[in-house]
Amino acid sequence: MSAAMPPPSSETILVERPRLLDRRRLRRLLVLLLVLGAVLVLLAPLTATDQADSLGAPQLVDRSQIRILTTVAMFVVMASAWNLVGGLTGYSSFGNVAFFGLGAYTCAVAVDAHRLHLPMAAAIALAPLVPAAFAALVGLPLLRLRGHYFAIATLGTAVAVGEVVKNVDYLGGATGLFPPILHRADLLFLYLMVGAALLAVLVSRLILRSRFGYGLIAIRENEEAAGVIGVNTTMYKVGAFAVAAALTGLAGGLFALWNSFINQELGFSLDFNIQMILMAVLGGAGTLFGPVLGAIVLELLIQNLAGRSDVAVYAQIGLGLLLAVTVIFVPRGIVAFFGGGSRLSVAHLRRSLRETGV
Amino acid sequence: MTALLSIQGVTKRFGGVAALNEVSFDVGEGEILGVIGPNGAGKTTLLNCVSGVYRPDAGSITFDGHSIAGEPPHRIARLGVGRTFQVVKPFASMTARENAAVGALFGASQLALSRAFAAADEVLEMVGMAGKASLPVASLTIPDRKRLEVARALATRPRLLLLDEVMAGLNPVEVDEALEMVRTVHRSGVTIVLIEHVMRVVVGVCRRVVVLHFGQTLAEGTPDGVLRDARVIEAYLGEKYARRLVGG
Repeated sequence: MSAAMPPPSSETILVERPRLLDRRRLRRLLVLLLVLGAVLVLLAPLTATDQADSLGAPQLVDRSQIRILTTVAMFVVMASAWNLVGGLTGYSSFGNVAFFGLGAYTCAVAVDAHRLHLPMAAAIALAPLVPAAFAALVGLPLLRLRGHYFAIATLGTAVAVGEVVKNVDYLGGATGLFPPILHRADLLFLYLMVGAALLAVLVSRLILRSRFGYGLIAIRENEEAAGVIGVNTTMYKVGAFAVAAALTGLAGGLFALWNSFINQELGFSLDFNIQMILMAVLGGAGTLFGPVLGAIVLELLIQNLAGRSDVAVYAQIGLGLLLAVTVIFVPRGIVAFFGGGSRLSVAHLRRSLRETGV
Repeated sequence: MTALLSIQGVTKRFGGVAALNEVSFDVGEGEILGVIGPNGAGKTTLLNCVSGVYRPDAGSITFDGHSIAGEPPHRIARLGVGRTFQVVKPFASMTARENAAVGALFGASQLALSRAFAAADEVLEMVGMAGKASLPVASLTIPDRKRLEVARALATRPRLLLLDEVMAGLNPVEVDEALEMVRTVHRSGVTIVLIEHVMRVVVGVCRRVVVLHFGQTLAEGTPDGVLRDARVIEAYLGEKYARRLVGG
């Protein structure tokens, strides 16, 4: 930039937002990638069926990969659901695994021959309802807390619910419950879980583009101001919490049926609890596709690295470093990194290169 | 003039301190009422009671025939009461336009998403921020953030607007601009309660003033009359200022 040029008024610089275009392009790219990924995910496993085998079709995935894909889809549901409360509303819940556990136990009890003995479809339909009702109930007092207090209280609630479940004989006590094993059902559960993931993204999208979504964002930005412009803050917060609980519970219910075994440690796993938060934050809390990306990236890393004994230790260190780097340099996540919302982002780099005339 | 807002015997205590003690006055439809008083007089507490942020311990508040004392803020906003905060509370990650648009989605306005942004542009124009609509809050100056507070409140389509020290911290030129904004808003048919420290503002736009002191109504009347009141002078203004004002 030459010295003779008049200094640009602050307004012209700020009004110009090249980010907008990048964001639109990014979104198109993301949708394309997701559609491609979805098609692959949905069709590739068909080559692993016995029928395809007998026809001699080349096998694109082996059975273990179907399992990994199902797990990825499960975390897409949980991270997207967490995002509704933690990302959109600004209430960082550390207890969403309670909804996962409740959904899992609901399904397990529903299909159990000695308990409710309902058909599988009815069990899956019940799985979101119980956690949603629970969330509405505990949400009323919990969502009066903010910040660290809310985080600790939700974590405590999740642990407490797990302990209660462990000590109720009707729920299988410490042994757990064993939903009937369905033979050759891995494809069925892959499709069910992917369906749940699509549902979670669809629900998030509907919320983001609605009065409800704007109300939640207003609460995150300034709850008192949201109240006086007319947002029913209590109802909105509890509503978001219940929707998140329903989605997480659905994932839990499907997991229990898929896994044919559920106990307190699996249903109320603190690993799952932390992972869904990491995924949402890594991908970009408050965005639509951030949690989806975060879930895919992190779960694939975990499955491919942490599961191997030779690199497991390094993988743990790597994941920790990744998180630290994300929080410090890209606090708004991967989506912001490519969308230009971060100092380290690609778009920012390009912009500053252009402005300095390099 | 019929009373749009009627405050009767409102009391609010914090522990043993009565921040408001049996405060009563009416605000007529179409009026600009000034509420003045020294620091700690209870001005903001009163505003918090009217907008539902606080629940008064005693007394009644009636807006347009509805009893609103103790009602939650969102219900009061829906009836058509808008307010600003002395310390501005913008939605920080949004642009000015988005801030105002969120206001248009709620309150008495309840516009559909598709129409909220047009309404936002309208109120930003009214407060003189049309050129800064697409700026993020982070790059707005303090006077602009105060204007944005007003715009967001206006976007909810209030019949009564409570302004909490919108002029505090502004320089004389900015005060003049803000005064013009208040007049413009008033001309659009909004009843205004103006809480102020800056004397010039109250004298400039209000026909009637209520003086609060230690949580009680000390005086009520025209700005000139109130400012000549010996009790008000003693409590608040200091003799010198009053003499200058009366003499000039």
